[in-house]
Amino acid sequence: MTNTLIDAPRPVVRSTGASVPSLVELEIRKSLSTRSGKSLAAASMLLAPAAAAVAAASSSEPLGSVTGPLGALGMLTGLVLLSLGVLSTAGEWSHRTVQTTYLLVPHRGRVLATKAVAVALMGAVFAAVAAALVAGVLALLVSGVSWAGFGLAFGAVVAAGAAFAVIGAGVGAATANTPAALTGLYLVILGGIPVLRTFKPEIGDKIDPAGATLALAQGQATTQSILILSGWIGVALVAGAVMTRRRQVS
Amino acid sequence: MITVSGLTKRYGDRTVVDHVSFDLEPGTVTGFLGPNGAGKTTTMRMMTSLVAPTAGSAVIDGKLYAELPNPGAVVGTLLDASAVHPGRTGRTHLRLLASAVGVPASRVDEVLDMVGLSEAAGRRIGGYSLGMRQRLGIAGALLADPPVLVFDEPANGLDPEGIRWMRDLLRTHAARGGTVLLSSHLLNEVEHTVDRLLVIGEGRIVADGPVATLLAGDGTTVRAVDAPSLAADLAAAGLQVEATADGALVVAGADASQVFAVAAAGGHVLTELRPTERGLEDLFFQLTTAA
Repeated sequence: MTNTLIDAPRPVVRSTGASVPSLVELEIRKSLSTRSGKSLAAASMLLAPAAAAVAAASSSEPLGSVTGPLGALGMLTGLVLLSLGVLSTAGEWSHRTVQTTYLLVPHRGRVLATKAVAVALMGAVFAAVAAALVAGVLALLVSGVSWAGFGLAFGAVVAAGAAFAVIGAGVGAATANTPAALTGLYLVILGGIPVLRTFKPEIGDKIDPAGATLALAQGQATTQSILILSGWIGVALVAGAVMTRRRQVS
Repeated sequence: MITVSGLTKRYGDRTVVDHVSFDLEPGTVTGFLGPNGAGKTTTMRMMTSLVAPTAGSAVIDGKLYAELPNPGAVVGTLLDASAVHPGRTGRTHLRLLASAVGVPASRVDEVLDMVGLSEAAGRRIGGYSLGMRQRLGIAGALLADPPVLVFDEPANGLDPEGIRWMRDLLRTHAARGGTVLLSSHLLNEVEHTVDRLLVIGEGRIVADGPVATLLAGDGTTVRAVDAPSLAADLAAAGLQVEATADGALVVAGADASQVFAVAAAGGHVLTELRPTERGLEDLFFQLTTAA
C-alpha cells in the first residue's frame, strides 16, 4: 500500500452527474459483468434456436407459416429475459450493491428509468438474435414453410423481448428480492394465467402476456396484445417506482 | 463544510437517532463513537440520502446530498464493504464506479496500487478476504479524491500495517484540507487518528469536542522521589490525594501550579508533573452508559 496523496495531482473528475446515455451504458455493463448475467444473455439468445432445432429434427408435421413457431419461441425467449430484468433490479438488493448505486445516483426514479431502458435495449437485441437464429434453423431444417408475415413476427418478438425484460425489472424493483420476483412472475405467467384461461378465458385472454406475444407474432388481436404487454409494463414499473422510493437502504 | 441539524429517525415509536446536530470543518478528522445500535450508521446513512430522516437535515456546502450534481465526486463513502457483487472482479467493480463518478479508467489502477490490491484486482471479489474487501471499499471511495470522506468502521479486517496505513491516509487527507468522518469501535485507533470526537449514545450526542479536551481529567498526576511524604504534605494542604498502583499520586481538583507550590514548599524532588488524562475507553463507557 502506498500513501501518495499528499503530492499527487487530483484526478480529473466530471463535475456534473452522468448523462442518461452514460447511465444506460453503465447499467448494460453491470448486467453483463458477471457470470450470471452473461449466462442469462447467452441463454436468451440460444434457448429458442436450440428448441427450434430439436422440434424441427423430431417432428414430421408440416409447419405451415413461420410466424407461429417464431411467436412461440419468442415467448420462450421472453420468459428468459424476465430473469435478466429481475436481476438488474432485485439483484442489486440481494447483493446490496444498491447502496453504491444510490450513493452515486441518489435519484431513484432516474436509476429505475435507466435500468428499464438498459434491459429493454438488451432484451430487444437478444430477442432479435434469438429470432434470427430460429429463422435460420427453420430455413435449414424445415422445408415448405411459408415466410409470409415474417417481418411482422420478427418485430413482434423483438418488442416482446424488450417488454418482458422491462416487466422483470419493474417487478424486481418492487420486490427487491430476486427469488420472490422470479417465483412470483413464473407462477403467475406459467401457472396462474393458464389456469385462468381454462376456467375464465374471457379474463385470462385479456391479461396473458405470453399469449399476447404469440398473437402479436401471428398478426392476430394486435391492439389487444399491445395493450396487454403495455399494461404489464406500466403496472410493473409503477409498482417498482413506488416501492423503490419508499424503501430504506439500511 | 458539513452541517447536520436536528437529524432524527424514528421507526414507529422507536427513536434511533434523536436530534443529532454537529458541524464538520475542512481539515479535520472526526471520530464518531458509540456502542452498537447507538445510531452511528443510521446517522451516516441519513447524511448520504440512503435513509430518509424523520426530521432534520444534513447539508454539504449548503446542499443536501441528493442535490449534489455528482455526489461521488464530493463525498467518498465506505459504509458496508460487503456491499459488492461477488461475481465481479475488483478491477471491474472499480471501473464501473469510475464510469459512474466520471474519472478516467487509469485512475482505477492508481487506487488499486494505493490500497495494495493490484495483484488481486483480476480475481473475483467473492474470493477476497474481509480485509481485501475493506481495502476495495476504500479504493472506491478514493476514486474521485473527494473532499469529504465518510467511513463506517474502515479498519474492520485490516491488519496492523493496514490500520497504520489507513490512519496516515486519513490524516493526510485532512492535511490537504479534506473532511473526514469515521466511526469505529477500535478506541485506541480512533484516539491516535482523530482531532475531534462525537460520542453518540441511544441516538443522542453525548459528547462533542476536541480529543484533548474530552480526555482531560480534573486533576494533576505527580511522581516524586519521596511520594508518601509529598502525599502527606498535599493532604495537609487540603488537597485530595490518591495513590495509584504504579506509584503516582493523583491530586483531584488541583492544577499543576497548586501541586508544584506544595511540593516546592516541602522541598520535594518531582520526577513527573502533568494534568491527569482519562483513557478513551473510560470516557466511552462513562458517557454511553450514562446515556
